[in-house]
Amino acid sequence: MPLFEGLHRRRAVVTAVALCAVVALAATPVLAQSEASAIEELRQEVERLRTELEQMRAEKESAAEVEEVGVEMAEPAEAGADAMADRLDELERQIGILAEEMEREQLGEAAATADRSDYGYGPAASKIYRTGQGLSVGGYGEMLYERFDSTRDDGADSGETDQLDFLRAIVYFGYKFNDNWLFNSEVEFEHGSVEEGGDVSVEFAYLDYLWKPELNVRAGLVLVPMGFVNELHEPTVYLGARRPDVERRIIPSTWRENGFGLFGEAGPVSYRTYIINGFKGEDFSAGGLRGGRQKGSEAVAEDFAWVGRLDYQPVPGLLLGGSAYLGDSGQDLTGNDGREIKVGTTIYEGHAEWRWRGLELRFLGVRADLDDVAELNRALGLSGTASVGEELSGWYAQVGYDVLGGRSGDQELIPYVRWEQLDTQDAVPVGFSSNPANDQESLTLGVAWKPFPQAILKADYQDYDNEAGTGIDQFNVALGYIF
Amino acid sequence: MVEGRRTPALAAVALGGLLLVAGVSTPATARVFLTVDEALEMAFPGCAVDRGTVFLTEEQVARASELAGETIGSALVHPYRATCDGAPGGTAYFDTHRVRTLPETLMVVVDPHGAVRRIEILSFKEPPEYIPREIWYDQFTGEPLGPELELKRSIRQVTGATLTARATTNAVRRVLATHQVIEELSAPTAAAGNDGD
Repeated sequence: MPLFEGLHRRRAVVTAVALCAVVALAATPVLAQSEASAIEELRQEVERLRTELEQMRAEKESAAEVEEVGVEMAEPAEAGADAMADRLDELERQIGILAEEMEREQLGEAAATADRSDYGYGPAASKIYRTGQGLSVGGYGEMLYERFDSTRDDGADSGETDQLDFLRAIVYFGYKFNDNWLFNSEVEFEHGSVEEGGDVSVEFAYLDYLWKPELNVRAGLVLVPMGFVNELHEPTVYLGARRPDVERRIIPSTWRENGFGLFGEAGPVSYRTYIINGFKGEDFSAGGLRGGRQKGSEAVAEDFAWVGRLDYQPVPGLLLGGSAYLGDSGQDLTGNDGREIKVGTTIYEGHAEWRWRGLELRFLGVRADLDDVAELNRALGLSGTASVGEELSGWYAQVGYDVLGGRSGDQELIPYVRWEQLDTQDAVPVGFSSNPANDQESLTLGVAWKPFPQAILKADYQDYDNEAGTGIDQFNVALGYIF
Repeated sequence: MVEGRRTPALAAVALGGLLLVAGVSTPATARVFLTVDEALEMAFPGCAVDRGTVFLTEEQVARASELAGETIGSALVHPYRATCDGAPGGTAYFDTHRVRTLPETLMVVVDPHGAVRRIEILSFKEPPEYIPREIWYDQFTGEPLGPELELKRSIRQVTGATLTARATTNAVRRVLATHQVIEELSAPTAAAGNDGD
């Protein structure tokens, strides 16, 4: 009898604790709504076990009363105790199964098929758990306030009007068909309303075939893999209320074109290499290459280009990389003499980033060379300082430091400074001249605050200088979010 | 200056070169879409692994939450304890959490001294670009639970995968905190009977 009572008491304690824990777990929020029904079923199972336990408690009390009646009743009481021990064993077994089910619900498709005993291993896991499928939705947005100085550096009226713009509202849609095939896209709403000059664009939309980490295939409307910002342009990722000018005017972010290619990584090296439709050179200007983007919209595909990128991360926090773009931008444009103008276009870019504790340093340099610019200018009717640049160059260096440095939960407070230099007419053909206003420098001083990792408030002052003395300084505030 | 006709040839050479590089490179590390069995086999090759079930009390959940620096959401924990050649080989835990809007599941292996030995991704439902490079995960190796185990302290940030980096760091802190509480539970003074199977 003492043995039975000890056993009974211990099992009752274990069972009660287990029930409470499982019920508590069943009541906690779960990641996906679809899991709720499964959890509810488990909860009902636990309720059933709880009812059974109550019945056993009642039976135990009854058995104790019987024991007090006399020795002649001892044998039936022993039989009842054995039956109760069996049922307790069964209850423990069922609770163990429920605990496993709960773990499977939590782990989702990664859940194991093995039972609780030792694992013989081998590739016994079922592939069914690897077929994670479904829709992925995300997005980001940013609102930008720009306050311009009323005068230029030379004292003339700047003529600029301050503005508060809901610059971007982005929605990501992705769909994973199976382990190998997935679709990813970004739809952008710019400047709040198409009725007020805004627009709606597909920024990227591609299919990936994921073969292995080293070699995968991508096709569709892709982001051109040059620089920092073009591929990673969510406002929480870069410092500065506005994107760096070098990555807007020479690397024309957000630069996307139709094409296909390969991507992957091996050890500390990653790469992307695409064949895409080339620029449309007739839309280049003295201010840079930005107008030449075709954005995937009925892109003229007479000329294609190759773009490739290589990144090297030898240690955590250090990134060294570069990219190159080679291709013609003529797209069957003919000159005044009736001959085709190819406008061969080459862009080379190098970048480096170092992150250590709260410190983040960035450097990027880029140079672009264009062929046949004199013919292009003549075909477009450009003269004098309106020439498209034959050489374009620029660079920037940026440093920021999170003064909270992980000491204040998820918050970050990052003062930053950026120095930029660029010239979109570093060289022009003989017979044309550069506009000194396109040779500019800027100093950006600001601070970024992230109350939590998915939101950011940035404020900075930008001091613009150019060789013409027409620089206009500005103060910016940007609010950004990502989900 | 590049002539137009050179572009296809250059592209072909570049593509061919990259295919060659990819073809001769090391096999995939398979960080993605491991099952529990496969992950455990990678972590404890040739060892016996016993799946435990621990029901933490409210006080133990509170203690683990305090150690982790954030709320531990579940009182039900499954430590996978390995025994290799008769000696403790470490303990693995699985943690499922949200990255941006979608979940990932990690395996965190804790060595017998309570430090991180290994991290593996079992499933990751955000786009693959949000997965940090393998070298980033290596930063956790040998790290015990402490104030330095934070982003921008001993764990460096990673561009383009900041949300994953933060989610991973928080998961590792949760696992190490829970492990510490369970180890305290296993001490001789702890109440018996709380650790099932």
